[in-house]
Amino acid sequence: MLKFILRRIGASALVLLGASLLVYVLTINSGDPLKDLRESNDPNRATLIAERIARMRLDDPWYERYWDWLKGVGGCFTGNCDLGVTVNGIDVATLTQQAASSTLRLVTVATLLAIFVGIALGILTAIRQYSGFDYTITFSAFLFFSLPVFWAATLLKEYAAIQYNNWIAVGQYAPWTIVIVAVLAAFVLQAVLGGTTKRRLITAAAVFGFVTVVLFVFNALDWWRNPMFGIGGVLLVSAAAGVLVTALVAGVRNRRALYAAFTTAVVGVAAYWLTAPFLVNQPSWLLLAGLFVVAVVVSVAIGAAWGGYARKQSMLVTGITGVITSLMVVADILIAHWASFLSVKSRPISTIGSQTPNFTGGFWEQVLDLGTQILLPTILLTLVSVASYSRYTRSSMLETLNQDYVRTARSKGLSEREVIVKHAFRNALIPITTIIAFDFAGIIGGAIITEQVFGWKGMGALFQDGLNAVDPAPVMAFFLVTGVAAVVMNLVADIAYAALDPRIRR
Amino acid sequence: MKIRRLSAAVAVAASGALLFSACTSPAGSNDPAEGESTETTATAAGPCKADLGDIETADGEVKVSVEDEFLGYNSNTPETYSTYNSAVTERLIGGFWYFGTDGAICADEEYGTYKAISEDPLQVEYTLNDEAVWSDGTPITYADYLLDWAAQAITKDGKVTKDGTETNPLFNHISGLTLGDYVPEGPQADSPDAKTFTYDYERVYADWKIQIGGAFPAHVVAEQAGVSTEELVTAIQDLDMDVLKKAADFWNKGWLSQPGEVPDPKIAPVSGPYDFKADGWEAGQYITLEANDAYWGTPAATKELTIRFVAADAQIQALANGDLDVIQPNGPTVDTVQQLEQLGDAVKVDTNQNLTWEHLDFNFGDGIFSDSLEAREAFALCVPRQKIVDDLIAPIDPEAVVMNAREVFPFQENYEDVVSQSYDGRYDEVDLDAAKEKFAAAGLEDGVEVRIGYAAPNPRRAAEVEAIKSSCDQVGFDIVDNAAEDFFDKDLPNGDYEVALFAWAGSGQIASGQNIYATDFPQNYGKYSDATVDEAWDTLASTTDEAVHAEQTVIIEKQLWDTLFGIPLFAHPGVIANSSSLSNVFNTAAQSGVVWNAEQWSRAS
Repeated sequence: MLKFILRRIGASALVLLGASLLVYVLTINSGDPLKDLRESNDPNRATLIAERIARMRLDDPWYERYWDWLKGVGGCFTGNCDLGVTVNGIDVATLTQQAASSTLRLVTVATLLAIFVGIALGILTAIRQYSGFDYTITFSAFLFFSLPVFWAATLLKEYAAIQYNNWIAVGQYAPWTIVIVAVLAAFVLQAVLGGTTKRRLITAAAVFGFVTVVLFVFNALDWWRNPMFGIGGVLLVSAAAGVLVTALVAGVRNRRALYAAFTTAVVGVAAYWLTAPFLVNQPSWLLLAGLFVVAVVVSVAIGAAWGGYARKQSMLVTGITGVITSLMVVADILIAHWASFLSVKSRPISTIGSQTPNFTGGFWEQVLDLGTQILLPTILLTLVSVASYSRYTRSSMLETLNQDYVRTARSKGLSEREVIVKHAFRNALIPITTIIAFDFAGIIGGAIITEQVFGWKGMGALFQDGLNAVDPAPVMAFFLVTGVAAVVMNLVADIAYAALDPRIRR
Repeated sequence: MKIRRLSAAVAVAASGALLFSACTSPAGSNDPAEGESTETTATAAGPCKADLGDIETADGEVKVSVEDEFLGYNSNTPETYSTYNSAVTERLIGGFWYFGTDGAICADEEYGTYKAISEDPLQVEYTLNDEAVWSDGTPITYADYLLDWAAQAITKDGKVTKDGTETNPLFNHISGLTLGDYVPEGPQADSPDAKTFTYDYERVYADWKIQIGGAFPAHVVAEQAGVSTEELVTAIQDLDMDVLKKAADFWNKGWLSQPGEVPDPKIAPVSGPYDFKADGWEAGQYITLEANDAYWGTPAATKELTIRFVAADAQIQALANGDLDVIQPNGPTVDTVQQLEQLGDAVKVDTNQNLTWEHLDFNFGDGIFSDSLEAREAFALCVPRQKIVDDLIAPIDPEAVVMNAREVFPFQENYEDVVSQSYDGRYDEVDLDAAKEKFAAAGLEDGVEVRIGYAAPNPRRAAEVEAIKSSCDQVGFDIVDNAAEDFFDKDLPNGDYEVALFAWAGSGQIASGQNIYATDFPQNYGKYSDATVDEAWDTLASTTDEAVHAEQTVIIEKQLWDTLFGIPLFAHPGVIANSSSLSNVFNTAAQSGVVWNAEQWSRAS
């Protein structure tokens, strides 16, 4: 394996070297770096042109400039990277760091969400092939996939930002809005859950009733402006998540796993109750990260203690439940801070920027600010990429579901959960892994249009600005980051294959 | 800043070049120019900033869009030379003058005053306000202006420039060595800390009024070079290169900023109404300025000014959502205006015409138009100028008109005057019959090819060429849309065109048109040559007398019409919009952009 990895890295390095040469030559020949000056009528145009030629070394042969760039990059191995400067005299290394961090912030959540939602939808549509639900998802997937990003962004800004902000100023649903929302929820849920007509009707009626009541109660409590969730809510949702995770991973008949999940939820909430004073009064990212690690370790330990014969499964169940409980705790604190956030920022959802300029507010208000700023681009990126994940998963699942070994698994009396999760899904994951690996390599490249319409400056902008100015340094920095990411992610995909498919391990 | 520029794209300031534009209306004129739809308040009249009386800085924040990142404190280096950068630095660095809304030169008397004490030889005396200080408390003095001169006069080999053409300036100043060429002795004063100093021009310079503006802090440069301010002054006077090299190194590079790192107040004190705010710069996102406590003049009306870096297509919704208070989308289209109007009363929209103007220029060096006035007349008679303006420009700015001059703009007060004396309206309407007659008289053959060159991609110019084609093909021309991406690089300098379609940005200089119209001058791409025009430019450029300027402008315009140098089309439209809760936001034709009077913006309480 090690030999294989080393060989791959060696080959990749050569590919990167060749590609860098190609990109460099293409970039410096992609246009006229003096364009703006040629169009200028400045009395000192000649001086300015001469100055820029000297500064960008336009008179030097391309191989000298490439070689110097390569030497600068080579310095990275000895600890003094020199990625050059832009045409505006700005150090590219720092610029790339800023761009990469901005891009990662923008696309990481969206990509994870898209993978999670896309795969879940793919499995569901495969299981319910040719149902109304399947058709609806297929239709929406194609619709979102073909959405022009700039146009969808405009719609999102109009409805999810401007109109929402107008609405939150009052924060009350009109009665007919409540009815419409309830009807929609009822329709969607019965379609997803399926069953006989009678069962569908009951589902729909129950959902309709529940949503209507909840929304009216929210109105009465002015919940949208002063929301609260409460420790009870955290416990309830965490426990429910525990049941769901158990059902998926181990099956609810595995009582040990189920009790382990419940224990995790209860311990998590108890820990929340204990640490709440710190979390609310002296929060910091470090504290959050530390508590999260502790939470995961404790959760897994609970799983190990309860596990017995199904120790591994239990640990997985409690681990996931622990993560969900932690998220719920953070969500609860954030919800509790919504009212004070609204008092600082009366129009919470912005259409541009990665943060509100000069935002004043405590730690949690700042987290909410970052969250509301990232909300719209995240929704957009998720919608667009959910489509491909759900379609790939669906077709891959359908293929494996028709395999002989799935029929064998069914015929030897395994539960449907085991058939789908263990036998079908695991095999279906192999082709999806490839796509995920490629996508992860792609996300660091940034989402050029999304960045632009939402006023973020990330890797996409770095590349675009560089290319517009025929300025090789930022373009090459972009290439370095994306190229290395592609190589690394491909390697990760190869290793993941081995983990997923025993045949590859030999 | 004395630059004329031809703007390739629709956007005036899209490329890096920074230009302030203004034309020739005399300073101090007080009537709003005709056709200008600026919404005026009781206090705003005329092109210059209104006197707001005694105001105090109110707490609060105004957010305005600029399309690209801030680069550095010193906008005069090639690296930082852009309208985006100066949108910030002009708030920070004061100066003796600024361009008003119609391009008039307005004096900032709170900063200082200046006057010509002798017209020939030209001597100009500048007096700084006694209270004028940098934000670190150091007075603004002669030393700062001597350094400003040194940055535009001294070459690497330790000499003052001979004729401004040396290619080895010590300082990377974007204006090169022009000032040293005109004023070889530099400004003169009694002492380094004098508030009054005099520039002796070696020869008469028509544009002396905009030659000296703001300055950078000499005491900072001196400290960075390891000397006192007095020693720096002496070093400049004695051309002591040991000191000057260090000073120039700092001047060239020391003020460049890494995005997000607000310059240290120690090296970047300011002389304008706004100052950097500590931690107020987020890379790629925004930079916040706060009112300068040390400012001696009328204070900024609102404490904080946040300049957010936002692309044009995201600005309108950001304004609607309150993420921005003032926007100026680059390259506005009909859609821009319609979307803004749909926002209703919450937003004030103002469209105007800018100091950038579109025109068709004939090629006199080569081709069918080069030696035949009749051919040019035939073409001019069939170009549907009114239709182009009605279809493409009026939907953006309802006040847009066909432009009938080159050196004055329709919204300037002397426009009517100049046009009535130089042009009789003969090309106002398309006259195909007359065009056919001229076509025949010129001896042209039916279907003769006319290549109209412009820089692609540019949808508006493509539409203009389309309109010209549908009209002029009836006369017998065969109009060819010869758009090319490298039009300015290849076709224009090589003369591979019959008609060139592009725009010039009007400049603050009175005499800069000489570069375009006089024989063998560098911007005379079409190789036009006319003795009357050459002579008129010489007369105009060699005097500071405004009456002569006006008189010669009419002669030039008339001759350019009679010999048909080219056909002016229209001034580019511009759009600004601001939240209705703000007052004192005014559109300007100059390239300084809507932020030109940002220190006066205030929010209704």
